[in-house]
Amino acid sequence: MVGIGFRKDFAEEFLNSSVLQPSFIEAAPENWIGVGGYWKKLLMQALEKYPLFVHGLSLSIGSPDPLDFDFLRKIKSFLKETQALVYSEHLSYAKCDNAHLYDLLPIPFTYDAVDHVSERIQQVQDLLQQKIAIEIVSYYTPVAPEMTELEFINAVLKKSGSDLLLDVNNVYVNSFNHHYDPYKFIDGLSVENVSYIHMAGHLKIADDLIIDTHGEAIIDPVYKLFEYTMDKLKKDVPVLLERDFNIPDLADLQQEIRQLAQIKKTALKQKSYETA
Amino acid sequence: MKLLETTWNHQSELAIFCRTGRYNPIPGVNEKHVSQYRQLVYNVVDDTLQSAFPLTHHLLTPKEWDGLVNDFFSSHPCQSPQIWTMPKELWAWVANKRSPLLKKYPFLDELLWFEWLEIELFMMEDKTTACKPEGNLKKDKLVLNPEHHLKHFTYPVHLKNAKYITPSDKGHYFLMMHREKVTGKVNFTNLSPFLARMLEILSEKPFTFKELIEQTSTEFEVATDQQLEEDVIQFLDNSVRSGLISGFQ
Repeated sequence: MVGIGFRKDFAEEFLNSSVLQPSFIEAAPENWIGVGGYWKKLLMQALEKYPLFVHGLSLSIGSPDPLDFDFLRKIKSFLKETQALVYSEHLSYAKCDNAHLYDLLPIPFTYDAVDHVSERIQQVQDLLQQKIAIEIVSYYTPVAPEMTELEFINAVLKKSGSDLLLDVNNVYVNSFNHHYDPYKFIDGLSVENVSYIHMAGHLKIADDLIIDTHGEAIIDPVYKLFEYTMDKLKKDVPVLLERDFNIPDLADLQQEIRQLAQIKKTALKQKSYETA
Repeated sequence: MKLLETTWNHQSELAIFCRTGRYNPIPGVNEKHVSQYRQLVYNVVDDTLQSAFPLTHHLLTPKEWDGLVNDFFSSHPCQSPQIWTMPKELWAWVANKRSPLLKKYPFLDELLWFEWLEIELFMMEDKTTACKPEGNLKKDKLVLNPEHHLKHFTYPVHLKNAKYITPSDKGHYFLMMHREKVTGKVNFTNLSPFLARMLEILSEKPFTFKELIEQTSTEFEVATDQQLEEDVIQFLDNSVRSGLISGFQ
């Protein structure tokens, strides 16, 4: 399965043509909860055709602030209403000191943060009565680290028991920004936890910095890393193409979907995989 | 809470930097790259507010706009986890804080409110009401579209280019906004006080044309003559066509 992020920017064109042919769509609950009218109609039209994966933005799993259980209950209703297949969130924080920041900030890679985040993931899973997938985020600076990013992620996965949403582009971006080998990172990851993959483009804004924009096409080195990841996984998992800005012709997005599907297909032929 | 105070403080320092642009050194942070976070967060907030308030953005000078966004985001803890509703918090903040910009633009809080109301109505959850699409305008009870906002303004923010609104424009303005069922578009209807009150009555429950005009005329202490009846019928007829009146009972 290769899906596409359902964006308002191209929702109408997507639904009124057959150019883009994803296996599923992904949407952020924050953009759709409590929404009616025109957008609700389009979402309902989309749900008649495609299964939904839900990918949260604002739950702020890694925040020092208390979890927002009222909002979490709204998410639970949304998951039920849309019959969503998956709910994922970010291994980051987006709220602090009782103020939302509307972007993903890096959690300090510390031992106490592992305990804190893991406990909160379990609380979320308990309330939702389902496992969630937690995404590796891109980050532009570490914050008071006591361990490596890889050790932090693996420790959270082990302690929380959550699934991993592996954003291969984020691994590439982080490896560039923080000078490590992305292949070794994939080798060291608890790949048995991977249940979902994100793929996207990025923007190099300086000789030593890449920003995860979701506004460009996927580049070849990220496709290669994806290919390597699929070989390591030994199982088929859903893959999402994220494109949030600078939206190209839908035919170009379909080409990217096709390329991702082809890489998956080739990898599946080579080995005896579990099917997802 | 398993988080140590030091970790909490580091997270808080980064968040404060994102909100205010004031950076206090945090251990292990790449000081060259940390600025990206302030820029990314600020751009998201600024873009969202510009999209929500195009009229206000056009009215204010770039310096005034940047000052407004900066003051708001650094001093107000945004409460909504849904960014599309965050602009409502800017309106409330300006109105409650009595922003200094209100001295130059005394209608600014109403302009922000007007712009927010359109978003709120466009996005609001669907509301349904039981009624027949066809009926007799003069005999049947009329059902108001529940997807509406009926508001009173003291400045004509819905009628005039904001750059040309002056203190002498202060008065009473009534606006009905409703969402079209099929397209989801928001329609605007400027109202006389009489029609505004009549629609307010109709928003409580369905009434016939006769009941509506009698009750409103009594309240306004005006005689119900033929001209008034014809004008109201014309208005109601247009309201059925525009979808402001959903149907009949």
